[in-house]
Amino acid sequence: MRFPVGRLPDEALLSGLATGDQELAVVFVRRFQHRVFGVAMAVTGDRQLAEDVAQQTFERAWRHAQIYDSRRGSVTTWLTTIAHNLAIDAVRARRTEPVAPEDLDALLGTVTETPERWALADEASARLRAAVSRLPREQARALMMAGIYGMTAQQVADAEQIPLGTAKTRIRAAMGKLRTTLSAPERGGHVQ
Amino acid sequence: MSSDANCEKMREIGAELALGVLPGRERAEAVAHLDTCADCREFVRQLTLVGDRLIGLLPCQEPPLGFETRVARSLTQQAAADGRTAARAPAFPVLRGRARRARVRLGAAAAGLAVVAGFAGWGIGTAVETVTAAAPRTMDSEPILVGDMTADSAAGGSPIGEVYAHPGSPGWIFVTVDLAGHGSAYSGRVSCVLERSDGRTVRVGDFTVRDGQGHWGAQAPVDADAVSGARLTSADGTVLARAHLQTGHVLTRETHVPSQQT
Repeated sequence: MRFPVGRLPDEALLSGLATGDQELAVVFVRRFQHRVFGVAMAVTGDRQLAEDVAQQTFERAWRHAQIYDSRRGSVTTWLTTIAHNLAIDAVRARRTEPVAPEDLDALLGTVTETPERWALADEASARLRAAVSRLPREQARALMMAGIYGMTAQQVADAEQIPLGTAKTRIRAAMGKLRTTLSAPERGGHVQ
Repeated sequence: MSSDANCEKMREIGAELALGVLPGRERAEAVAHLDTCADCREFVRQLTLVGDRLIGLLPCQEPPLGFETRVARSLTQQAAADGRTAARAPAFPVLRGRARRARVRLGAAAAGLAVVAGFAGWGIGTAVETVTAAAPRTMDSEPILVGDMTADSAAGGSPIGEVYAHPGSPGWIFVTVDLAGHGSAYSGRVSCVLERSDGRTVRVGDFTVRDGQGHWGAQAPVDADAVSGARLTSADGTVLARAHLQTGHVLTRETHVPSQQT
């Protein structure tokens, strides 16, 4: 009997990874490396730094596999969160300049694009992608700064040269609309 | 400040809290309020899900050539250094416990933040640079025993779980079960027992099932030639589910990108 690795649950791989089995480690890394590296690259914009972050992510997942809680989210989400947090920490340690406007616009374009490769994405992600694309530009930028780059409202305000209260309002409004979208029971939830 | 005022404040800052960008003092106050307000916990939980989903929209990217080899080698070298391949316990995810992340995890918000703080300063392992740099290829790994769990009834029935038992060194076993699919909402400790073809049984561990659902993994000696099945029993010895195990092989293939999301 041949057993495709695609059928091996992520949690099972994580269990095997914890034993130090090299073959399973390869399978685990191969399964998630594109997602983890993608997150690291999006946040850091630096391939070497992203590689460091991605490697750290797998090391941390391996070392702390025992506290993974499948009821709180998938292995993918867990790894993605680790990668995101590590990437933000890495950028905070290095970056002194605010996010370049062109970088932010490029990221926003990537997040909201809907090429064929997203056609098979799950419905909630598709709805969220569409909702982000419908956000007013200034709200979408504030959302990317806070949600992807981990910038505080004050940092958003400084980068956008707007009052702190305005930055907070933009973040809150954007998140509120996306929450409404994800809560909508039917496909194509309308963004308020 | 009254509870209502706190709730109103949470409506203002919940998004920043969920995204992990709320400054320290405000975050501490917000987390303290979450411990006492179920409505606000639910509100922030939904926003946290939005944040997770937002990160999930980031595109996958091809890592540098040889990345997976370097990382896998680093992990196994660390495992060897830790003695994990021998009998390091508890090396296994019990698939319970507290999630960790910079964002607030509800129900364990304060503790969750402490866990995150504990992760700061993690050193970056030096990658081994003896790169094989081979393109991802299909390969066979060691055999693995697999089987579908079914309810222990004469009628058999549809699968209600799966068992994976790896006979490597060290061996390990992973079990997932959903008794609710067979109409049982059993909650309590269950024992996982391996059945041998000679009729003997070996209990490999216990785990908790809630509302019929549970999953568990552990290191376990797995003799691929001798093990023929697995079963789950309740505390009183009742067999809840069993599986006939067959030998399979894990096939790796290139660039598998999972779509699993919460």
